Amino acid sequence: MNFGYLIVVSENQETNYSKLAYALALSIKNTQKPGYDQVALVINDKKKIKDYTSTWVFDHVIEWDQEEHWDGRSFMDQLSPFDYTVCLDADMLFMRDYSHWIDYFVENCELYIANKSYTYRGEIVTDDYYRKCFTANELPNLYSFYTFFVKDSNLSKEFFTLQRAIIKNPVEFSNNFLTRYTPKIVGTDEAFALAAKILDITNEIAYDLEFPRVVHLKGMIQNWPWPADSVTDHVGFYFDRGANLKIGNYQQHDIVHYVEKNKVTSETVNILEEIAWQKN
Amino acid sequence: MKKGIVIFAHNNRQNDYAKLAIIAAKLANKNLSVPVSLITDPSTIDWMKESEIFKTAADIFDRIIITKRPEEINMRNFYDGQTKTPALFNNSNRSNVWDLTPYDRTLLIDSDYLIMSNTLNNYWNVDCDLMISGKYNDIFGDDRTGYHDKYISDTGIKLLWATTVMFTKNENTKTFFDLVEHIRENYKSFANLFRFDDRIYRNDISFSIAKHIMYGFETDNEYTLPDILSITDKDYLSHIDNNNLIVLASPRSDGNYCAAKISNDLHVMNKQSILRNSNALMELA
Repeated sequence: MNFGYLIVVSENQETNYSKLAYALALSIKNTQKPGYDQVALVINDKKKIKDYTSTWVFDHVIEWDQEEHWDGRSFMDQLSPFDYTVCLDADMLFMRDYSHWIDYFVENCELYIANKSYTYRGEIVTDDYYRKCFTANELPNLYSFYTFFVKDSNLSKEFFTLQRAIIKNPVEFSNNFLTRYTPKIVGTDEAFALAAKILDITNEIAYDLEFPRVVHLKGMIQNWPWPADSVTDHVGFYFDRGANLKIGNYQQHDIVHYVEKNKVTSETVNILEEIAWQKN
Repeated sequence: MKKGIVIFAHNNRQNDYAKLAIIAAKLANKNLSVPVSLITDPSTIDWMKESEIFKTAADIFDRIIITKRPEEINMRNFYDGQTKTPALFNNSNRSNVWDLTPYDRTLLIDSDYLIMSNTLNNYWNVDCDLMISGKYNDIFGDDRTGYHDKYISDTGIKLLWATTVMFTKNENTKTFFDLVEHIRENYKSFANLFRFDDRIYRNDISFSIAKHIMYGFETDNEYTLPDILSITDKDYLSHIDNNNLIVLASPRSDGNYCAAKISNDLHVMNKQSILRNSNALMELA
């Protein structure tokens, strides 16, 4: 089985995305079984990773600069070197072995997109504060941060072709399909959801499953009784020497989408590197 | 495996917890058909004898276990509908239940929990050595349920309701109750760690934290006892009608009441209203 994780980043002035991708790749190598721990990095400038000490965690490094920022992820189906791929956001960390999820997806799916997220307390996120467009326009609640696809699948091709068209023509699609609440930016999540709705394939690609479980650390969706810009203004982010993460009083075992990019520091990366070297 | 129910009762100046325990025990014994034991203290026993309820207690309870009256005392307002009375109360020795229970499998209930059904009988044989009610279920649903009825603090862990706790006596539960005691002894430190209001000691909070820690700093959503259907102390148990509890509950806790007929297990926080209906409740049992 030729399976791997794909991370697509485009470096910009504000955020060192290659460092986030590097931390994610390290955490994948540290936690996944052999055969389930391949990582491919798509980056606009290969030189950005040359100073990292353990670039071997990237099994494939693909230099590609045709699109900027998150638009690159629209091409995940074309960029992936794997037959079976899970494309991830860069600002995530793996906390335990999730290979059994992959067994299920490979066996049963051509395309599967995460359709729920969790708070740091393990509750399903129900607040639509960041998803008014989804609620108003009755879009399926898709999250592109964890997307499984089979490379040669017709379903995947049809889906990714349409979502690329949406990303390339946001005004036209918004004016036609997102009239009840027009988002400021049609991002990957909106494009995925709209493509699934137009193709009427939501039940095929986003049916109810107990996984993937991704903790989404945006402030307003943590079921707190007051508004919050950032999660770590209110609860601690405790990353220990064993690469275990506790947020507030909760040990994290699911994939953590930490959102606040400054949470992955050089120290965090060093801890992950040490473990990777011990393991390999 | 010997199974049974345990109720704690330490009287204060406001509430006759011993009498509440007798009522709760009789209802529990009738509906669950298991023995009930009382854990109490010498001064409460003295009051039971003085008020001539000790003989009734001796008839109803499987065992009356006398322990030291807990030293720590909390002060809080006890409401009886719209009337409030501040009083001291003692609730800090629940962690001793592991040592004091005469049973292998114990259901610990509050003395103001009226068991009206056999629902809890479904849990004796569940393959889990510790179960606590996972949720407060107000008679008006979520409308009257506060955030801190669900969580111990704004950002903290989920609040379990130690109104009902079922456990098997073994090393694991011994550790659990030792941990509850440790949390009680270091309540302010745990309040800093878990960010809850520490002004009044709450068993619910200590039990919630201990379960959270024992479960690996996660929430166990799998094994819980049924939600605690409750009326607040600003509501009333009005009377008994044809084996049902008739309650008057105020949707906005403002003195305007709705009547409801309840045939399920019910947590009646207005203790005086239970005592006013003691004769009818004893006849019901």
